[in-house]
This record gives sequence, structure tokens and C-alpha cells, in this order.
Amino acid sequence: MKTKRFLSVGLCLVIVMLAFQPINVIAQKYFSDPQFKVKLDFNRWHDVNELFADMARLEKAFPKFLKLASMGKSYEGRDLMVMTINNPETGPEMSKAAMYVDANIHGNEIQGGEVCLYTIWYLMENYGRIEEVTRLVNERVFYIVPCVNPDGRQWFMETDGGNARAGHLPVDDDNDGLIDEDGPDDMNGNGIIEQIRKYVPGQGNYRISATDKRVMEPVPFGEKGDYVLLGEEGIDNDGDGRVNEDDKGGYDPNRNWAVDWQPNYVQGGAMDFPFQLPEAKAENEFLMAHPNIAGVQAYHNSGGMILRGPGAEALGEYSGSDVRAYDEIGNNGQRILPFYKYMVIWSGLYTVHGGFIDWTNDGLGIMSFSNELWNSSQYFSSPDLLKEREDPNSPISGRKSSNFFDDKLEFGDEYVDWKPFDHPQYGKVEMGGEWKKFMGRVPPRFMNEELCHRNMAFSLYQADEMPKMEIGETNVKKIGDNVYRVWIDFTNKKVAPTITAKAATNNVVRPDLITFDGKQDIISASWISNKETFDYLNPITELIDQKQMKRLLIRNGHPGKSTRTLQYLVKGTGNITITYDSVKGGKVTKTISVN
Amino acid sequence: MIFRNFPMYCRKLIFSTFLLLTGLFCLMNAGYSQTAGSYLNYDELTKAVKALADSNKDFAKVESIGKTAGGREIWVLTLAKAGQVPVAERPALLIAANFEGDHLIGSSLSLEIARYLISGYATDEGIKASLDNHVFYIMPRLNPDGAENMFAAIKTGSKTNSTASDADNDGRLDEDGPDDLNKDGQITVMRVKDHNGLYRIDPDEPMLMKKADPAKGERGEYSIYPEGIDNDKDGFINEDPAGGTDINRNFMHAYPYFKENAGRYMVSEIETRSMIEWMLAHKNVAMVMTFGESDNLIVPPTSRGALSTDRPLDLVQFAQAAISEASRVGMVSEGGRGGRGRFNMGDFTRGMSAQPAADASGRSQRPAQTAATTINTSDLDYFTKASEKYKELTGIKTQPVLRNPEGAFFQYTYYQLGLPSFSTPGWGLVLPADTTRRGARGGAQRPGGTDTPAAAGGAFTMGGGGGGGRTMGGGGGQASAQAGGQQDAGSQTAGIDAAYYKYLTAAKINGFVKWQAVKHPEFGDVEVGGFTPTEISNPPAEKIAELGVSHAKFALYLSTLFAEIKVAETEVINEGGGLFRIKAEVSNEGYLPTALRQGVQARSVKPTMVQLEVKPEQIIGGNNKTNFFQALEGSGKRQKFEWLIKGKTGDQIDLKVVSQKGGTDLAKITLK
Repeated sequence: MKTKRFLSVGLCLVIVMLAFQPINVIAQKYFSDPQFKVKLDFNRWHDVNELFADMARLEKAFPKFLKLASMGKSYEGRDLMVMTINNPETGPEMSKAAMYVDANIHGNEIQGGEVCLYTIWYLMENYGRIEEVTRLVNERVFYIVPCVNPDGRQWFMETDGGNARAGHLPVDDDNDGLIDEDGPDDMNGNGIIEQIRKYVPGQGNYRISATDKRVMEPVPFGEKGDYVLLGEEGIDNDGDGRVNEDDKGGYDPNRNWAVDWQPNYVQGGAMDFPFQLPEAKAENEFLMAHPNIAGVQAYHNSGGMILRGPGAEALGEYSGSDVRAYDEIGNNGQRILPFYKYMVIWSGLYTVHGGFIDWTNDGLGIMSFSNELWNSSQYFSSPDLLKEREDPNSPISGRKSSNFFDDKLEFGDEYVDWKPFDHPQYGKVEMGGEWKKFMGRVPPRFMNEELCHRNMAFSLYQADEMPKMEIGETNVKKIGDNVYRVWIDFTNKKVAPTITAKAATNNVVRPDLITFDGKQDIISASWISNKETFDYLNPITELIDQKQMKRLLIRNGHPGKSTRTLQYLVKGTGNITITYDSVKGGKVTKTISVN
Repeated sequence: MIFRNFPMYCRKLIFSTFLLLTGLFCLMNAGYSQTAGSYLNYDELTKAVKALADSNKDFAKVESIGKTAGGREIWVLTLAKAGQVPVAERPALLIAANFEGDHLIGSSLSLEIARYLISGYATDEGIKASLDNHVFYIMPRLNPDGAENMFAAIKTGSKTNSTASDADNDGRLDEDGPDDLNKDGQITVMRVKDHNGLYRIDPDEPMLMKKADPAKGERGEYSIYPEGIDNDKDGFINEDPAGGTDINRNFMHAYPYFKENAGRYMVSEIETRSMIEWMLAHKNVAMVMTFGESDNLIVPPTSRGALSTDRPLDLVQFAQAAISEASRVGMVSEGGRGGRGRFNMGDFTRGMSAQPAADASGRSQRPAQTAATTINTSDLDYFTKASEKYKELTGIKTQPVLRNPEGAFFQYTYYQLGLPSFSTPGWGLVLPADTTRRGARGGAQRPGGTDTPAAAGGAFTMGGGGGGGRTMGGGGGQASAQAGGQQDAGSQTAGIDAAYYKYLTAAKINGFVKWQAVKHPEFGDVEVGGFTPTEISNPPAEKIAELGVSHAKFALYLSTLFAEIKVAETEVINEGGGLFRIKAEVSNEGYLPTALRQGVQARSVKPTMVQLEVKPEQIIGGNNKTNFFQALEGSGKRQKFEWLIKGKTGDQIDLKVVSQKGGTDLAKITLK
């Protein structure tokens, strides 16, 4: 009886305890999503300070994993902030392959910054909650740089957005000895550099489109229109008789890298020599100081592309083994990122000399992708819309679609209509007829979170497929007097090799090392052709012809998704410790007892 | 005053004493602190440069363009007499030397040029005119860290600076350098008896080695290695010596990507970057003359604009070939055999290869542009004329040891900056009469001097080229591992050993170590011998004075060639009603155009600007307020301008002409 009563009291207690469990624990388990530790917004565009402030908030919330640092300064003195994501409990940074993600090298290609921020946030908020995320954070290191051209981004955010592709190194575009002295001027102070049109009844060469009054169209041959276009808003700042001929910028930060760098007359915007730009120099110094980086993603916009090198045809296609690894990741990328195409830069986009990912692939031996974020076809996100787009009478055909979607989805937020203006040089004119700076290159804000998530998912997939060495089964057999045969399996289950063929050809990654720590004499070391049939068929081996048997160099590394078996013939007994040490594939060790 | 002697010249004690006296004489005369009789280490060079500047403050100024990793300054002497036109706006000749660490003669000749110009100012009209109107920038030693190795107890002949490098990419830095086995202070080569060897003793000259030609029934009897031991026990000798980057391989034209001594990437070195930043800050440099181990003066470019071929020494090439495979050790054939096909996982090998990539989008493909790799035919004449004058003044006929200028500074300044750019080793081989007929190249040299070099077939073309050059490893196939074993020196240019040996013998220069038996820890019996590093790339120091004078005369000649922009003529016509017509003619009174064709092509030389200093709205017709023209030929060629402006009688209007390489001029026009 007593026992029974005691049991029932116990049962009651359990029920009571369940009932009084804090509400949010139950909620997490059965009902709503968990609360986030850090609330961020991904449906608006951040300026540089906002980006950095959000990074600082994340670092503060997740101090164990996150370390915020500056790689260096931009020309105007802004920091190039890099967030390191590393779980110190699973090893120091250099012992693990790292994924490097940057964005916004072109100042006006901003949304990559938000993707970076989202990536840090997502990995941290879901660590310990989603098993795969937890594993990735434990196994890999991430270096996330949301903005490698903060001068360009800030200029884009603060101004009308013109010429924000470059950074702010002074360049004399018009060769008059003065630098950046005559850019456009926002004369009516509305933050937009508009077109100027003048009403000249019957004397012009432009007219207002009959189908949409916002569109100016050139008149057909032989007819007259009522308008002339007078270029973009601005005046002759330097009094040289020309308008807006020397704005800020005038170069391309993504042509200043040291592989296939070509002078300005071959590659416009290349600057005078590689790494002349303080941003590129600082970034390269960071990359070279982190040889564990095995994957690179550099976000650009737009067009919906997953790009890889080479940037120029003359560089030649990558060798077969590299292409296979790239293709597997790129093809899966097309599934993760609908409306994005996997392409080679020179054949799919255009020729780029001295681009960033050619440097990281050829010069640093890192598998590198560059996504062109956002494809305006994403407005047509159903087969029906895609079909209707082809009908010239539809309101979503051709150029009309921009106005249609802006009107109906964003309530006309992106368009600036014509308004009269009294111009000091041109007299009474109208200014307007222009899209705001966000139109075209970035998605409508409400679509950006999807963009962030899908691109992050692709980069996390690439990060997961970076090389990761394992030592598999081992086998020791006595084959003579005090002579032993030792077999060791080395495996890399990931898609990427520890050293790409390009890296091996260019000798830019330290070879993998297999070290043998034991007091035995090594008679020979060889790769064996097939472990399963070795004892029955002709035991052909590939002898390793190196002088230092206890420190073998594997210059072209370990391929993706493969296992190799190494055979040592040794004299003597005792423990041996074998280490496979790969700069990009990690360092693994196993001790084998020989007797 | 420091006087430095090499051991090999010690025996010429009497001669040295004579030089010393000459030196003292010079010192008293012009305040020099140096003589021309020896090569200078960094401290001596620094003293010499500073003494020149300090004792001639009117003309000379010394500054540093940068500090090397070894803490040494890269000096630049600015020679110009202050005057009305600021120095930074005058057309300048840059003389730069000793990019290759072993090329000491270049340093010495640069200094001699500086002395010649300074000491001649008072007496020589030509020098006076040049220093009054132009500028000489003289950088005697671009690679002071590398040059210092030439003054070490053991001479290695290394051309590189001191950046540590992993030449064989084995994860260890600078772990296997040369060793002086025969204790003579010279790193030469070793020959080892070897049935698998590729080389045999040259029957014409038993001191030299030749590649055996099996087609002639010859067999290889020797292998050849650099002098040293296998310090890191990897099977290779001297495959990763101290130091890293050859400064004349680190510039951006025809850059030898990922090749040994070229640096980690273009402009990776402090020396290179300092130099380029200095160039960008001195746009008045209108011509470049370098001393280095490539040439376009002793032998001018071909009619197609290609430079003469390299002239290596076989002995050096053979030894280098022995270690060329060191950086390929450890290549595993794909899949390690063990892996292929057996452990395939997933759809890794399924054939999706590059198909979407090849599926080019609708974006337009512009035809690929490439950088020029030969001298523009429109510019060729300027190079040919300079070469003719060079040979006339210096008497040098036969090129010494030379190499192809991949990543060389003077190539960068022509192809990317568009400047007339010259390079000379600064000396030549003087051959006994009987050899000039037979020639020097592997016993078959072209007659020196007046010949037209290398017809199309032999012409040097730069690795498939591009301004960035493209000597990169293209498709990147996987080389099979062939560790050890002597490699074929193969397609390399045949050496000039025979001619070189004759030159040394005839001039009684102690520049060849006769083969000497030595016990080697790995090979046993070997012989050490061959050309000595200092003498390979430098003439005897007693030649400095004579070569210095002739090169100074040549530098002075170059400084007379600059473009010189003038407002040649102006005319004002009063059209009445407040309208005036202004006519002007701008001329180039110099010999060179205001920009070479390559300067126009590369968009690196600014167009000449012609600006009428009026308000834009005053101009009614004719030319714009601001006008540009790309280039104007020299020798008095003219360009016409005409404006119709509003103004009033008595107005003063400036007409300004600014040429980046040809100076500036200002005309004051009065409306009347």
C-alpha cells in the first residue's frame, strides 16, 4: 500500500512538474519558433555603420564563436571588418578548413552585405538547434566580410548612387590634371541624379510614349518630337566647358588582382599595378595569412549567376579533376538557387582580367565562386508569368514590366516622375524620368530574405564540400623476419581535393605531408592499387620515390570523394604515429601498433 | 674614403696604386669621395651617393625611394640645376641599375654618369643645357640586399633580394643553399661521372662541357650540378637557397607567373612597389635607361620590334636543369591508383562537366584584347637610332651573358608607361680576332656589332604574352613525378661558353675555376669548376672608369632628345562688335614626339592639353576652351588652333600648353 501511495504521489508530482514547466520550453518543442537572441532586419539596406553595428551586436551575443576584427582600412579610412566564426572547442582556426565569404567589392552591389550578415546570424541562432548547422560550425571556420569596399557602399547609400562601383582612390578621368573635380550635381536636392528634358514643341527628337507617359522615346526618322534630352543633372563645376566629365571613381576594384592582371589599355579600370588599392592589398594580406581557406565566395550583383573562373579565355580551361569538382558544386547550386545559372566568367558573362576569384583560384589555390545576386526574371516566378512575358500586348512584357511590378508590388516607390525645374544654364526644364538607385540591381526589399537564405545555403554547401581528411582502417601484417607491412587508408569524402590541380601546377599550396613517427626503419613506401585484390592478384604498387620516407610530400594532394591506401614496409616493432597534414584538408593522426 | 679590392685583382697592385692616385686626384678636384676602380658594397655606395649630393648641393639631391627588408635604402640622386621651371615639371631621364643583385657594374656606371654630369657643368655647354632644362634621376642600386651578397666571403651569384622563399614548395624556407666545396669563395658547378649523364667534355675546349649528341655517336659521361651538398636530404642540391625574388623579374610586363625567383606575384616586393610608386609620382620621367642583364642597345630590336635572344652559359643552365624537378616531387598519379573508380561516392564522376558553363549567355563577347609584346613599328626608329649612337659612343660590339627580359623594369616602362626605354648590360665581350668570324654562340656566334639580330625564327617572343604576360601554366595537367635523375636541359637556348671562355682567356681575367677534384658526401669523387659568379655578369673593375665616361656621354645624348612643346605663333584678329579671332600654332621643337605610339596605345602618356584661359561662355566658335591632342611628332611639327571669342580690347588672355613629357609653355595674348 505504502509503496503504491508513494508511487501515485510521485506520479502526481511529475504531472505537476510538467504542467509548471516554463511555457517557452514547451512552446519551442511543440508550437512556435524559438525567440532569436539577436533581431536583425533583412528587408532593408544597411549602410556601412549599420552593417558593422549589427556585426558587433552578433559578436556580443555569441562571444564564444565570433571574433570581429579589421583586415585593414579603405582609402577613406573605413575598416574592412571581418567576422571569424570558429568553435574553439573543436580546434584552433588553422587546424580546420575555412570558408571565406565576401561581398560588395563593387560599391553599388550591396545586397551581398546583407547575405553575409544573414549567414553569421543564421549559423549562430541555429547552432545547437539544427544538427547540420551545428556540425558545420564545429567542423569548419568561416571568415565573413560583408563589405570589402566600404567607401563605395557608403557613397552608394548616402548619395544618388552614381559611380559607386569603384572605391574612392582619386583618378583623373579626363586627364586634365585635376582629380574628381566635376561630377554630377543633385541640383533639386531630392537625392537622385535625374534626366533633364526641355519642352521644345515640334523641334525635338524625343516624345512621350503613347503607352506609358513616364517613358521618353526617340521619334521615328522624319518626324519631330516635342522634347530634347539634355543629359543628366549637373553643371560644369570646374569651368572647363564640359559637364560631369570627372566624377569620383573611374576604376574597377575587381580588376586589381595579381593573376592575369593586364594594364589599363587592355583591361579598363585595372589601376597601375596589382594590389595598388589599399582594400585589395589588405584583403590579400588576410588571405595569404590564412592558408586554411579552402573555399571562397565573392557576392556581386546582378543577373543570377554562379560564376567560376577563368576570367579570360587565354588562361585556358581548368584541368579535368578541378572541373569535375566545380561542376558538382555548381550544378547543385542551380538547384539551390532557381533562376541562377552556373557559368564560366569569360564565356558566360564577359572577359575579366585580374579579377578576384582568378587570383584566389590560380594564385592561392582556393576553389572560388562568385554569385551574381538577383535576376529580374525572379519577378516572373511562375511558368504562367514567364509565358505571358512573351506577349507584347501584356503589361508585363519588355520594359513595361518594370513599371508594372513597381506600381503593383512596391506602389511606385522606385520611380521618380518628371517635375519642372529652373536650370541656371538651360532655363525652364523638367527633371525626372529616372529610377531610384535601388531599382534593377537589388530585389524589391520584401524578396531579399529569400535571396539571403538561398545564397547562404549555397555557400554553406560549398563549405561542407571543402576537403576533410580522415585516416580510415589500418592493417599490419608480418611478412618476414622482423619485417612488417603496414596499410593505412586515407580518405577525403568531400567533393573538393585537398590541393587543386591548378594549385599543384602553380605550386601555390604547401604539399600535404604524411609523417611517420616511429623508431622503425622504412624499407619502402608505396601507393597500392587495390587493397581487396592485393593478396590474390599481381601486387602492383606505385613506389614513392622520395628521399625522406618519414616525411612524404603529396604535392597534388588528395582528390575529392576518394580513398587511397598507403603501404609501408618497415623493419622493427613498436607504435607508429601517422599524421596526414594538409593545409586545407585538416590534420589527422592515428597511432598503429606494429608487432 | 674607402677603396675596395677583390682578391683576384690584388695581384695588380701597381695598377691599383695608380687607380688610388687617380682617385685622390678626383677627390681633390671635384669633391668625389669615390674612385671608379672597384665595386662598392652598400656602405661604400651610400657614402659615395651622399658625398656626391653633399658636395654639389646646387645640382644634386639624394633621397630614398624605399627601404628594403634588409633595412637598406634605395637611393635616388636628382640632378638638376634649379631654375625657372620647377624640377618636377621638366622632362627627365631616369637611369636605374642593379635590379639583378649580381649586376654591380650597373651601379658603378650610374654613379660614374652622375659624376661626369656634375663635374662637367661648369665647362661643358651640353651638360649645362641639360641640367638647366632637364632632370636626371639616378638610382644606382634597386636591389641593395641582393647586391650585398656579392661582397660576402662566398660568392653565389644570386640575383634575388632577401625575401625568404620556399623555392621547391616543400614547406621549408631556404633550407638548401650552395656550399663552397673547394673553399675558393666561388660557387660554381660540379661534374660527376655518370653513365646516365647527359654531358661530355667539349672536345674543342676541355675546360667546357657539351651536351652529348647520340646522333653523332656521342655518349653522355657526366652529370652536372650546382656546387653544394644536399643539405636537407631530399635528393636535390641547392634547390632552395637563401633569398627569394629577382627584382627584374617582378614587374608587370611578360611577368613569368609562378616561376622561380619571380616573386609570389607581380610587384610583391618592397623594391618593386617602391619603384612603381615612385614612377607614378614622377610623371615627368620621359625616358628610361637601365643597366641590367637584358639588352636593346648593343643589339637593337628587330624590324618586327622583337629583342635579341638570351645568351646564357651552358654550364650554368646544365646545373640548373639538375634541380628543375625539385618542385615537382610528390606528384601522385591521379587517384593514387588505389582510389580510382573503387571508392567513388555519389555522382562525382557523372558527366555534367562544364555543360552549363559552356552554355554562354546572350551577353555580347568583345574580341579578346591583348597587350603588345613587340615594340610598335612607329616607335622602332627611336630605338634603332639610340642603339646606333650607343655603339658609336661605347664601342661595345658583342653582348655578354644575357637573359630574356620577363618581368623586367625597362619592358614595363615601355609597354605600360609608353616611355622610350633602354637596357644595356653596360659592357661587352672583347673577343680575339679569330673568334669574331666564328662567332660566340655555342661556337657559332653571329658576328658582333653591325648584324641584324635574330630573324623571325630566332626572334625572342614573350611567352604568348600579355602586358601581364602569360607565361602561366595553362591547362595545368598533372606532371608525373620524376624525382632525382638528371633532367634534359632540352629546349633551352645554346650557351655562349666557348666565346666567353675565349674572352676571359684573352683578357687574362681570372673568371674560370679550373676543374678540381673534391670529395663529395653524396657523390664521392666529383670535380668542381666553371665560371665565377662575379665575372659572369661584370667586367673587371678597372673597366669602370672608361665605360663610365662613354655611358655618361650616351646618357647626355639621350637627354637632348626630349620633346619640347612651344606656342610657336599666335595671332589676334579683331572681327569687330566685341568679337575676336585668336589663332595659335603649337609646335614640338624636340626630337621625340610628345608621346610614343605605345604611350598613346597604352593611354599612359597624357594627351597634350591646349587651354585658352577664358570663361567657357566667352567662346563663340572654333576650338573648345580645353583641347587635347594625343601626340605631336618632333623636329618642329605643328598643330593649329583657332577660337572665336567675345572680349574687349586690352584683355590679357593666357594660352597654356601642357605636355607631360615635353614640358609646358605659356603665351600671353592681348586682344587688340
